[in-house]
Amino acid sequence: MKSVGKTLCIVFLKLIATVCCLFVVTFAAYFFNLDMKLTAKMEPILFHFYDKVKRDQHL
Amino acid sequence: MKNPEKRIGADHLGSLYTDGRVRRRREWRGVPDTLYDYSRWLHNWVTIFRVVLSKPRNIKALFRYRWMANYLAVPMMVDRHTQGLRGEHLRICHVEQDLIIEDVAKLLDKLFRGDRRIDNDKDFSDKVVLVDENEMQSLMMGFPTLVPLSREIASTYIPVLLNQRAALHYIDIAQEYGLAGDVCPMPEAEAGVSIDDDAPVLGKCAVQCNTTCDGSLMGNSVIFKRLELEDGIPIFQLATPLRHQEPDVQEYAAQEIRNAIAFIEEHTGEKWDWTHYFECAKRVNYATKCRMEWLDMNKTQYPQVFGSNLALYTETNYMAISGRVAAFQDADRKITALAERAYQKKKMASNEYRHRAIVWGVQSHYYMDFLVWLLNCWGIVPLTDMLSMVSTKMIADTDTPENREQAIYDIAWLTENMIMRNRTHGGYKVLLDELWEIVEEFNADMVILWEHMSCKALDGMHGLFEERAREKGIHLVWVSHDLFDPRVISRQGVRDQINSYMRTVMQEEPVDPSLEELNDAESW
Amino acid sequence: MKDLKYLQYFEDLLQDANNDLVQQARNDGKKCVAYICENTPEPLLNLEGLFSSRLRAPRTSSMEMATYYLTSFLCEYSRALLERAIEGGYNFADCLITPDGCSMINRVAENMELLHTMDEGKPNFFYEHMEIPMKADDNGLNLYVLQCKNHILKPLQDKFGIDVSDASIRRAVQEHNRICRLVRAIGDFRKGEKPTLTGYEYSVITLATYAAPKYLLVDKLEETLEELKTRQPDPINNFRARVLLVGSEIDDPDFVKLVESTGAFVCADRYCYGSFPGRDEIVLTEDEDALIQICRQYMMRGQCPRYMNQQKILGRRSYVDQLAKEYGADGIIYEQIKFCDPWAYERMVGSHVMHDEYGYPVLSIDRPYSTSGTGQLRTRIQAFIESIEIKKIHGGDK
Repeated sequence: MKSVGKTLCIVFLKLIATVCCLFVVTFAAYFFNLDMKLTAKMEPILFHFYDKVKRDQHL
Repeated sequence: MKNPEKRIGADHLGSLYTDGRVRRRREWRGVPDTLYDYSRWLHNWVTIFRVVLSKPRNIKALFRYRWMANYLAVPMMVDRHTQGLRGEHLRICHVEQDLIIEDVAKLLDKLFRGDRRIDNDKDFSDKVVLVDENEMQSLMMGFPTLVPLSREIASTYIPVLLNQRAALHYIDIAQEYGLAGDVCPMPEAEAGVSIDDDAPVLGKCAVQCNTTCDGSLMGNSVIFKRLELEDGIPIFQLATPLRHQEPDVQEYAAQEIRNAIAFIEEHTGEKWDWTHYFECAKRVNYATKCRMEWLDMNKTQYPQVFGSNLALYTETNYMAISGRVAAFQDADRKITALAERAYQKKKMASNEYRHRAIVWGVQSHYYMDFLVWLLNCWGIVPLTDMLSMVSTKMIADTDTPENREQAIYDIAWLTENMIMRNRTHGGYKVLLDELWEIVEEFNADMVILWEHMSCKALDGMHGLFEERAREKGIHLVWVSHDLFDPRVISRQGVRDQINSYMRTVMQEEPVDPSLEELNDAESW
Repeated sequence: MKDLKYLQYFEDLLQDANNDLVQQARNDGKKCVAYICENTPEPLLNLEGLFSSRLRAPRTSSMEMATYYLTSFLCEYSRALLERAIEGGYNFADCLITPDGCSMINRVAENMELLHTMDEGKPNFFYEHMEIPMKADDNGLNLYVLQCKNHILKPLQDKFGIDVSDASIRRAVQEHNRICRLVRAIGDFRKGEKPTLTGYEYSVITLATYAAPKYLLVDKLEETLEELKTRQPDPINNFRARVLLVGSEIDDPDFVKLVESTGAFVCADRYCYGSFPGRDEIVLTEDEDALIQICRQYMMRGQCPRYMNQQKILGRRSYVDQLAKEYGADGIIYEQIKFCDPWAYERMVGSHVMHDEYGYPVLSIDRPYSTSGTGQLRTRIQAFIESIEIKKIHGGDK
């Protein structure tokens, strides 16, 4: 019984730790604008693809 | 009037800017507001993943359509519009923006689901009626089983809100094909998308309209060439009278609506549903009632729903939603509750209110958050704007035989009074005379007059605006721009017009000097 | 060719909006109905006791006042009209009737009204703004008819006591058709291998019928027609290519002169202020109101790009093709005045379609309103004419 409680406690703590880690990571991404900094890097890569797409350009 | 409340982190907002695409970091707004903003940021990313990025078709579309790259900047758009906001104002902004984001995400997903090039779901595509970007979707209020989608909203209208340079490629394409460079860049970009073969192809039929301007009307002829003549999607051209205030055009307008409905019924096999129409009509009236309450608040010393938030939300709710989406009614309710709470607490949205301004004309689309800047940098409160001063007429919302007839006139009226065109068309009274009535009603001391260079209907009243402002002793500040094209006048060029007026004519110093000069030419 | 006897006379009429014939008609006690847009049905402005004058303002040099009111982003044609109005150049008019043909025309007319440019000291003066259809269909026709009743006939009757009965309208149509037949017959002399009328001469004559009271022009037009029947062409053609001119307002024959100075012959005129379709006869039957028939014919024949329905869009191109064939055009020039939205799009699409789908050589130009200082334009037109000429020499297709 004691060991089950201990396991539950560990799982709970791990859960808390995971949530905390997730919070820290996502909050850091949020606060330091990492999401936008990353997507800004993706923009030229996408343009590279667009330039290669075959298009039937006409009026 | 100085804000008695201390607003954490709202002193040097200019320090967040960099020379590149994005901001240095997000704002620190104090613990509760930062955590709230963080939670909404997370919510928006979840929405983007849930609705768009989790589906292979949308990833395929991301690599097919050039304009899709702009959607990478969605969270930054929210940051731009929430700049400096705290408490209820921050929450009002998020209620609006987050809902718009979800709505646009769904629009993208639907477009690619039916798109012949992407998912090619024919059954779904057969339920789609393509509508013009400037279409009042009140026309679709009686078709609950059909899906009205605007390709132009997805490919040009929203992208420029996200990224100031989003339309440049398409403007250049249209000009390469011989279109003059002096037309409005919005329909020009839409024509460019069509020429560049960059528009999704789907739908059972389409409705084009003449609502905004000559350019928009004529741009349709370019899109028609490809959409109907090549892709085989039949198009109805909905001609709405220009002199919409005149009683002798209303029958014409109503008949056009009847014809458009008959066209949709004929091509989709669906029948107009009066029960659904009147349900939507109730929501339209509710939205109108809420907007009127917000505007009433803005006439007092403590405006609450104003600036770009009012403008963007009204545009979306009034034109593109037209009572068809219940979630917007919930948003109306939440916004009203937040605004009332803030009003009772005499909350202010920035550090200082110096001038009460009416913003008139057509806003710079590549700088929609300019109104936020006005407030933070110079303490100019944009109480309302031309695009938010749309119809406040209550429409028939109960199902009776008389109201069914009236409903057609109501739809026609709403279409005639689509945002912007309700002012830029219909004679000088609605554009020129009513501005000064609104100035008086809102107790404003300043008019910020957007001069969209290629908007002939507005430019054509330039001198008379000036003369009237002089007569009435109101500060009139011209702010020129070219709607979709920051190469003509940059964002700093837009700001400089205010900066120089405020310094030379008003002899004032900025509330937040860090915002006066910003190097955001490369920014999204 | 020997000069036309009345060319100078017609040219003089175009020098000033308040020309000799306008003054004569006013002295005859007639009221002058000023209008701007071609979509205003002309016969209704020429009922007994009235004459129409389509406002023009070529050779306006300074547009400073109009630019203040309208900014420099509106087309120079509209600015020139306002400038001329502010200067008092249209003070002879007794009313102004204008449809919202385009945003710029609408704003010009509104500025004219708000600045009281034409109405001072004229208690009966009125400004009327009309809605006109953007699609040619039954609903559009109903609108057109109602608008003509409310914004043309009613004020004319109320303010000037004009007889607006069906019989009166029919008489005005007869007079209108007489002019149209004469103008069209004169224009037919552009058709032959060796035309006996230049594009410039024809544009002067056509423009005069818009700018001066028609009833005072009949005898001169009849004489000109007779003169053309015996006019000898030059032994050798002075032109190198026949071109059809398509586009927005050309209210200044000097533009046609400029085109022809490069070696072109303007064989047909499909532009605003031109004769196609403005000088088509109006055919009336007895079984329907004249007003309805006039409106229907204006709506159905209208080539203005503001008409937005498919049939009209496609019809505009086939109409150009039909004219090019009828008048033997070797090439087409699509022109627009800078800042004109409707023609910016129509020019782009039309020039591509006429080239790609119909196979015509096409020159597409946007131009300033004033033809002075247009060296670049001349060079472009010249190059176009040379390219047609070279193709003809090499026996290539159109």
